[in-house]
Amino acid sequence: MVKLVLFLGCLLGVACSSPPSANPPNTVNVAMPARVKTLDPAYSDDRYSNLSVGKIYETLFQYHYLKRPYVLEGLLADGMPLISKDRKTLTFKIKKGVTFHDDPCFVATQGKGRELLASDFAYAWKRLADPKVRSSGWWIFDGKIVGLNDWRKKAGESKFTDYSLDVPGLKALDDHTLQITLTASSEQFLFSLAMPFTSPVPKEAVDLYGEDFARNPVGTGPYIYRRKESNLNSKIILDRNPNYRKEYYPKEGAPGDRENGLLEDAGKPLPRNDRVVIHIIEEDQPNWLNFMSGKLDVAGIPKDNFSSAVDEVGNLRPELSKAGVKLIREPASDLTFMGINLEDPILGKNKTLRQAISRAIDEEETIRFLYNGRAVPALGPIPPGVSGYDPSFKNPNRTFNLIEAKKLMAKAGYPEGKGLPELVYYQEQSTTGRQYSEVLIRQLGAIGVKLKIVPSTWPDLIKAIHAHRTQLFGMGWGADYPDGENFLQLFYSRNIGEFGTNYFSYKNGEFDSLYEQALRLPDGAARNKLYQKMARMVAEDVPAIFSSHRITYGVVHPWVKNVKNGSFGNANQKYYRIDPAIRAKLQ
Amino acid sequence: MGRYLVRRLLYTIPVLFGVSLIVFILFHGVAGDPVIIMLGKHASEMQVRELRHELGFDQSLGLQFLNYLKQVATFDFGRSFATRENIGSMIWNGMGPSFLLASLGFFSTLILSLIISIACAFYRGRWFDRGVGFICVVGMSVSALAYILFGQYVLAFQWGWFPISGYENGFPANLKYLAMPVLIWVLVSLGWDVRFFRAALLDEAYKDYVRTARSKGLSEVTIFYKHILKNAMIPIVTYVVIQVPFLLLGSFLLESFFSIPGIGYITVDAIRSSDFPVIKATTTLISIMMVFGNLLTDIIYTLVDPRVRLR
Repeated sequence: MVKLVLFLGCLLGVACSSPPSANPPNTVNVAMPARVKTLDPAYSDDRYSNLSVGKIYETLFQYHYLKRPYVLEGLLADGMPLISKDRKTLTFKIKKGVTFHDDPCFVATQGKGRELLASDFAYAWKRLADPKVRSSGWWIFDGKIVGLNDWRKKAGESKFTDYSLDVPGLKALDDHTLQITLTASSEQFLFSLAMPFTSPVPKEAVDLYGEDFARNPVGTGPYIYRRKESNLNSKIILDRNPNYRKEYYPKEGAPGDRENGLLEDAGKPLPRNDRVVIHIIEEDQPNWLNFMSGKLDVAGIPKDNFSSAVDEVGNLRPELSKAGVKLIREPASDLTFMGINLEDPILGKNKTLRQAISRAIDEEETIRFLYNGRAVPALGPIPPGVSGYDPSFKNPNRTFNLIEAKKLMAKAGYPEGKGLPELVYYQEQSTTGRQYSEVLIRQLGAIGVKLKIVPSTWPDLIKAIHAHRTQLFGMGWGADYPDGENFLQLFYSRNIGEFGTNYFSYKNGEFDSLYEQALRLPDGAARNKLYQKMARMVAEDVPAIFSSHRITYGVVHPWVKNVKNGSFGNANQKYYRIDPAIRAKLQ
Repeated sequence: MGRYLVRRLLYTIPVLFGVSLIVFILFHGVAGDPVIIMLGKHASEMQVRELRHELGFDQSLGLQFLNYLKQVATFDFGRSFATRENIGSMIWNGMGPSFLLASLGFFSTLILSLIISIACAFYRGRWFDRGVGFICVVGMSVSALAYILFGQYVLAFQWGWFPISGYENGFPANLKYLAMPVLIWVLVSLGWDVRFFRAALLDEAYKDYVRTARSKGLSEVTIFYKHILKNAMIPIVTYVVIQVPFLLLGSFLLESFFSIPGIGYITVDAIRSSDFPVIKATTTLISIMMVFGNLLTDIIYTLVDPRVRLR
C-alpha cells in the first residue's frame, strides 16, 4: 500500500515538475497542428520539425523573407559561393564570429558556445551520409559530392564511423572556407543548402548527448530551446539567443511590401522579439478559438471556420477587420494530383481514355467544395511562384468539358463507359480524402466511369503505388525548393524504381533529354523555356491529372508586425515584432 | 492467499503471450510500413533495404516474434521509430499528465456517482430519483465531442471560465488546464455510473433478507447503510476497479482537443504512424495493468465480502 502511494506520488510529481516562467511582453505565440518529432536536423523531414529546427539551427543560405519570386541569400555563408568554370566546384566563405549556443558540451570553453567553423559543415554532412545515423536527409547528397558515397560505404562496413576520414569533394580549406566538388554540375544544389537537413551541428553536442541529441539541440540560430519547460508534444519555448550575431531585417522587398508596412523595421537587428512559443494544437476548434481570444498571435484559418472568417469574395469579414485583424494569403507552392499508373493495361496504353477522365473532373467545383476556394486549379505541374511557371498556359486536358469528355470516351473505345471495368482509386485516409472520393465518383459517373475507392494509410499508399497495384491514386507534392525541376523530376524516367518519385512509371525519351539539358542551365529564360516545353508534354500525355495548387490563408492580430506568409523559410518568426501596448489594450 | 497470488501472477505470462501475438499479427497484417515513414518521401531502395535489415524486418516472422517476446519480458522496447526518443521516457513523461487527468476525473466521478446513486436508491421511485434518472439518460445521450465543443466555445471562449486548451508542467498551474477536461470527464461518465450503481443498490434492496430486516424493525437508514450498501459493493467494486488500469491511458479525445501531452495521444499517434515499438510498449503496459487490476479486484472482494476466500 505504501509503495502504491509512493508510485502515485511519483506520477503526480512527474505531472507537476518545474513551473513555467512568465512570457516576456513581446512573446510571439503561434500554433502547429502536429507534434514535433525531432530537433535533430538529420531527421527533420517533416514540415513541423523543420519549422522548429529552422529557428534553432541555421543553414548556409536562406530565402529572402520578402522578395518574390524567392531568392537565395547567404545566412551562414558570407555571400554566394565562388563557382568553378565547369560549375562543379563551389567554394563558400563562412561568416566570421558566428557562435553556437552556450551548452555544457563545450568543455574546452567552459560551456560557452564556440565559434562555428567550416569543419562543422563537413562533420554535419558526413553525419547525414553515415548509415548508422539513418538520416532521412541523405538523399540531398546521395551521389552528388565526390567521394561521399565511398565514405558512406566504408562507414557502413566498419563498426565505428571514422569522421576524420577525408572526403575528397568536401573540404574545409580553412576555418572559414568550405569547398564542395560535385560529381556533376547542378543548378539546384544551392537550394539544398537552405534545407534544415544541412545545418551544421557541433560534434561535441552529438558526442555528449548521443541518442538524446534530438532533444538537446545546440545550434547557431536566433533562438535557444528551453529544454526544461518545453515538451515536443505540447509546447515549445524558444528564447532569444543572447549571443546572436548581427543580422538585420531586410531593407527591400516585393512590390507592395512597403505599403503593407513590411519595411518599417528595415535595417533593425534580429530577432525582433524575445521569445517564440509554439503551441501544439491538433484540433481546429481550439486552434481557432485560441486565436480569437488573442492567445495566438498568428493562425491559419481552419476549413470549418473559413466561411466565418472570410466572405464569398475572399475578404475578411467585417467583425474581424474592425478588430484590426489582417488577412494574409500566399500560394503554397504545391501540387495535388490524381496519379495514373501507366503500367496498367487499361489506362497505360490509352491516352485518349486518360484525357477523357481528365476532362470530366471539374476542379473548380472540387476546390469550392473541399477547400472553400482556397486553391487554384492546376493546369500544369509547376505551381505559381516557382521558376518555370507559365501563367499563360491553358491546358486543354484540364478544361472541364463533359461533352468533350464523352466524345473522348467513345474514341477511347468506351462509349458512355460501356465495357470499361471499375477503376481502382487509392486515396490517403482522411476526412478530406473521403470527401474528395465522393466528388470524384459523382463527376466520373457522369461519363460512365465507375470508381472503387481504397482508403489507405500513407505507407500503404506508397507501397501500393510502387507495387503497381493502383490504377489511380490521389497524391500531392510540396516543393522542396522553388525550382520547377522539383516538380518535373516526378516525370523523369530515371526516377522510376521501387522507391523512386516517378510514381506513374512515365517514360518519354524527349522529356528525359530536355530534363537533362535543363539541369545544366542556370535559372533564366532559356531554362524556363525548357521547363515549359516539358510541362506541355506532360499535360498532353496525362500521366497525372493535375488538381490544384493550394493557397494558404492566415490571420494576424493587429499587435503583430512584419508578418508575411511564405512556403520557404523556417524561421520567419525572427522578423515578427509585437507591440505590447496594442496587445494589452486589445487582448 | 499467497499461493493464490502467485498463481494469478503466473497467469500474466500466457496473457502477455496472447496479447503480444495478437498485436504482432495485427501490425504485420494490417499496419503500414514504418520504414517508409521513417525515411521520408525521398527514401532510396538501398536505404529502405538497409533499414529493414537493421530493424530486423527482413528476418523470418518467427524470429521477429521471438525478439518481440524478449522485449516484453525485459520491458525494453528501445526507441520510437518516429521520434527516436527512448520509449521508456516517452511513456514516463506521458503517464503523468494522463494519470492526473484520468484520476481526477475518475475519482470525482466515483464520489459524485456514489453519493447520487445512494440518494436515488434511498429515495427510489420519488421525484428526486426520477429526475436524476432523466438527467442521466440525457447526459448519456450526448457525445463526449459535443461536451468538448460546447465547453471550449461557451465555457472557455465566451465566458472565460477556463483556458481553451493547453497544459503547463508544475503544480498548481496544471490544475487550471485540467479543470475543464475533468469536468467533461465527469459529465460524460456520471450518467453511466449513477445508473449502474443505483441498479446494483436496488438489486440488493429487493432481496429477502432486507424484507426480513425491515420486518424486524430496523430503520431504513440502518438497513441501507449497514446491509444494502455493503452487499452492493461487490458488483460496484468490480465495475470500478476494472477501469483503474485504463487510467494510465487517459483519454485520447480529451488529450487531443485540450493539447494535453499524455500517453493516450502518444498511443494513437503511434498507431497512425505505424510506430511499432511504442504500440508494443503501450499494449504490454495495458495488459500488465489489466492483470493487476483483476487481481486487485479479487483482493478487494475479500475485504468487502468475508465469505470470499482466495485459494
